[in-house]
Amino acid sequence: MALVQRTAQPGDNLAAYFAGNEGRRLALTDGSRVGVIGGGPAGTFFTYFLLRLAESVDMNLSVDIYEPRSFTCQGPAGCNHCGGIVSESLVQLLATEGINLPPSIVRRGIESYVLHMDVGNVRIETPLREKRIAAVFRGNGPRVSEPVGASGSFDGYLLELAAASGAKVVRKLVNEIAWDGGRPQVTSSDGSSATYDLLAVAAGVNSRVPQLFSEVAPQYRSPKTLKTFICEFKLAPEALDRHIGPSMHVFLLDIPRLEFAALIPKGEFLTLCLLGHDVDNALIDTFLGAPEVKACFPDGAMPTPVCHCFPRVNVEAAAQPYGDRIVWIGDAGVARLYKDGIGSAYRVAKAAAKTVVHHGVSSEDFRQHFWPACKRIDNDNSIAKLIFAASGLIQKRRFLRRGVLRMTANEQRRGAARRHMSTVLWDLFTGSAPYTEVLSRSFHPEFPAMLCWNLIAGNLVRSRPNGSEERPHE
Amino acid sequence: MKTASFQEVLARPKQSEQLPPCGAGCATGADIRGWIGVIAQRRKLGLWDAEAFSRAWRMVTNVNPFPATLGRICPHPCEAGCNRAGKDGAVAINALERFLGDWGLRQGLELERLEIGEKPESIGVIGAGPAGLSFAYQMARRGYRVTVYERNAKPGGMLQYGIPEYRLPERILAAEIQKILALGMELKLGTGIGREVSVRELKAQHDILFLGIGALRARMLGIPGEDGGSVWTGTEYLASVNRGEPPALGAEVIVVGGGNTAIDAARTARRSGARVTLLYRRTRQEMPAIAAEVEDALAEGVTLTFLAAPVRIGRTGAEVSSVAVQQMQLGDPDASGRRKPVAVSGSEYELPASALIAAVSQEPDWEGLDELAPGAPWIRSAQHGRIDDALWAGGDALGLGIAGLAIANGRRAAEALHARLRNRELRIPPARIPIAGDAIKSDFHCDRARAVAPEISVDDRLTAPEAEVRGTIGEAQFLEEVERCFSCGLCFGCEQCFMYCNGGGFSRLEEPTPGTYFALKLDACEGCRKCIELCPCGYLTAEPMG
Repeated sequence: MALVQRTAQPGDNLAAYFAGNEGRRLALTDGSRVGVIGGGPAGTFFTYFLLRLAESVDMNLSVDIYEPRSFTCQGPAGCNHCGGIVSESLVQLLATEGINLPPSIVRRGIESYVLHMDVGNVRIETPLREKRIAAVFRGNGPRVSEPVGASGSFDGYLLELAAASGAKVVRKLVNEIAWDGGRPQVTSSDGSSATYDLLAVAAGVNSRVPQLFSEVAPQYRSPKTLKTFICEFKLAPEALDRHIGPSMHVFLLDIPRLEFAALIPKGEFLTLCLLGHDVDNALIDTFLGAPEVKACFPDGAMPTPVCHCFPRVNVEAAAQPYGDRIVWIGDAGVARLYKDGIGSAYRVAKAAAKTVVHHGVSSEDFRQHFWPACKRIDNDNSIAKLIFAASGLIQKRRFLRRGVLRMTANEQRRGAARRHMSTVLWDLFTGSAPYTEVLSRSFHPEFPAMLCWNLIAGNLVRSRPNGSEERPHE
Repeated sequence: MKTASFQEVLARPKQSEQLPPCGAGCATGADIRGWIGVIAQRRKLGLWDAEAFSRAWRMVTNVNPFPATLGRICPHPCEAGCNRAGKDGAVAINALERFLGDWGLRQGLELERLEIGEKPESIGVIGAGPAGLSFAYQMARRGYRVTVYERNAKPGGMLQYGIPEYRLPERILAAEIQKILALGMELKLGTGIGREVSVRELKAQHDILFLGIGALRARMLGIPGEDGGSVWTGTEYLASVNRGEPPALGAEVIVVGGGNTAIDAARTARRSGARVTLLYRRTRQEMPAIAAEVEDALAEGVTLTFLAAPVRIGRTGAEVSSVAVQQMQLGDPDASGRRKPVAVSGSEYELPASALIAAVSQEPDWEGLDELAPGAPWIRSAQHGRIDDALWAGGDALGLGIAGLAIANGRRAAEALHARLRNRELRIPPARIPIAGDAIKSDFHCDRARAVAPEISVDDRLTAPEAEVRGTIGEAQFLEEVERCFSCGLCFGCEQCFMYCNGGGFSRLEEPTPGTYFALKLDACEGCRKCIELCPCGYLTAEPMG
């Protein structure tokens, strides 16, 4: 074991550092054991960065990732349930980190968005800046798809990457968490236990794991969640090309309790993501029965979904997702509201890994160096709630929808240099930019002026066509 | 407005226990999945190894008081349908049963009594074979006074006299019989009915009689030359050897037949040092004998000649000198569904022979029992072996079968009789179709090779004729083998449903029992079907939503 494990970092409390590991400072040392609960993006990104950073300071860690599920299963079983949208900016960012998503993972590059409203549709092309997005399957594809193995699963790929970085994947369900002389102890369902110097909890909000912490980590409160609905339709390739194309279709419909819905093409499948309040069968039926939705399918006939699930999403950050020798990342901690959960998992996981290697694993270390990254996302989410409230208003007011449609359609038609509404909508739908940026862009002086003009024009000047690029659905 | 199309794909789980193929195949009617499960799941159930073993032993002996015996000799039809067979080999159920039986003997476990208090009826059992002893066991453990009459010097019937020592050591059988006797019953050995005791006396002494007389009269071949010395039936020959009076066979023994008795006789004769040729009129495929035993016979140097039937025994003076053999070919299927052997004309040839053992067929021997014979040679009985209120039967006398079946006959007769005598309802589980193989997700389990029992070398077998050929698997092997069971059709606590359910529709039970690990909360079910698709044992089935 090396006597000096690492060099001091600028942010170090030097006195604590020189007090050594026997002092009050909690830090990992050569040979430390790290447990990661959950092998989704948050857990695997964390592992990847942790092992890379540790290697850079010549520290050998032994990492166990607890992931009982197999992402090579088809259908919802092997899936980590989400819409499967990765923004191009994240794909690029991952590439700079050495994570190159193979082409087999990316089912379809999304080139445009089609916004569907009762007053008409408008296609929003990729903005001038490179902002393409990729559609992926988190698992091994829907129920009736051709099995593709780990090479086709986003999560499967990341887990293999983490394993290749030197982590051990433990295929066991975690049953119990306890403290063993101040160190977290993980007990699996087969009764075996292991004690770690650090535990990273990346178990999301769709498992029973968060319940295990009520007694052992009372300061942590699991995030508030919302039930969503995701399903997959299988369509003939030519029908997909004709009706959907390389576009994501977004719906702003005046349906009570509906927050947001999108259709995303992936290979021979079409994924429906539906966000709302108290998503239930009645809401799903109303949505699927809407003429704007049916018009996206050949002859207005919607096939029976081949796969579906009701996953939960994080809608309000967990309270204090850290403690001595423990940290919560991904959906189990703080995540981006509604969009780009993978991107926020990446940022939070990296912040956690940096904190662990460069600072320490005490509650105070996480508060100082990890929590700010979480807080940025959390603050952005507060802005998001404002924006979604505005889009909810648009959803409910027909005259607003006319204005938005007209403004966007005109921007798209003219190829205007400043596409105010288009960019706002693009960023809002794709999650390509922080919500704060979306909001600040709508403060551009031209934006309200243009919107006002379009509101008037769209609602009063009825002699002219309303500028819809595509015919409204009948 | 389009009606809800997505509703069609919703389904909620139903916990439905289904019949596993092993249970469907077991002649004794044992809950094989159940007793394997208690051991395989002992940690989840909070049981120590010994607790789990003895609980499993009780489950087995509830229907079969001979686990160490059947663990050695049963042709294990339970393994034939095992869903693991298609993956990496059927679970070695027979080897597991043997280990458990031996363990029960070693631990001195006692058979369980079911009812206390003596019942007024006196029960007489004729024949201490597997059927009679099983019947006597089930009656005695329910508090009846039982007397067993056996015309031979030792109890066990065919288990004692029909199975060679190298397959079933006498001490094992004797120890298991001892456990039955320990429940309290009278065993009268060397007591033939119509010989030492008359049927009249028997009827005067007992309210109920059970016929477990077996099928001990072996049929001869009906060919010229079979009358006279050096020609035996298979059962006669094996019984003589088991009594310690092996007949002199000479150097060239011909055994006729394709069943277990023929193979046992051939292997026993081989151990006397003779060259042995077994003639069977059909092919290897149609042989009813246990395949592994046939392999053993070959390994030990028995020559198997298929599609061959003896037509004449040649004698030089009184001594057997040759057997004329007719070559056969397979024709159309007969009543048993097997293709009927037909003679090929002009194909006769001669084999040198010093003795012939005919193990072709057997039938009940009614000598001294004529008054009781309800249809000879085979007994015709109503359900559960009932002939009339006071006369019941079971075992080979109803038709030839394996020992496990005779044990089941004895038990079912006892259960039915007990219900009748005590005016209780006889609960018979309804006949069910075993769970379909495609309901089992064998991919859930990793490949694991089937346990192989130790064997002694061929040289050792021939130099020590009584040495047991196959050994009992070790405890470590046993514990690994139970893990291979898929638990077809019953929850084994794999936690897949619990783990994947988004809605929290499964809650862990505080005190699980085999098959019940989770409670279903259908209110929380969102119909995604994940649990149903993942359940590796087929326990969760789909129910329409709503």
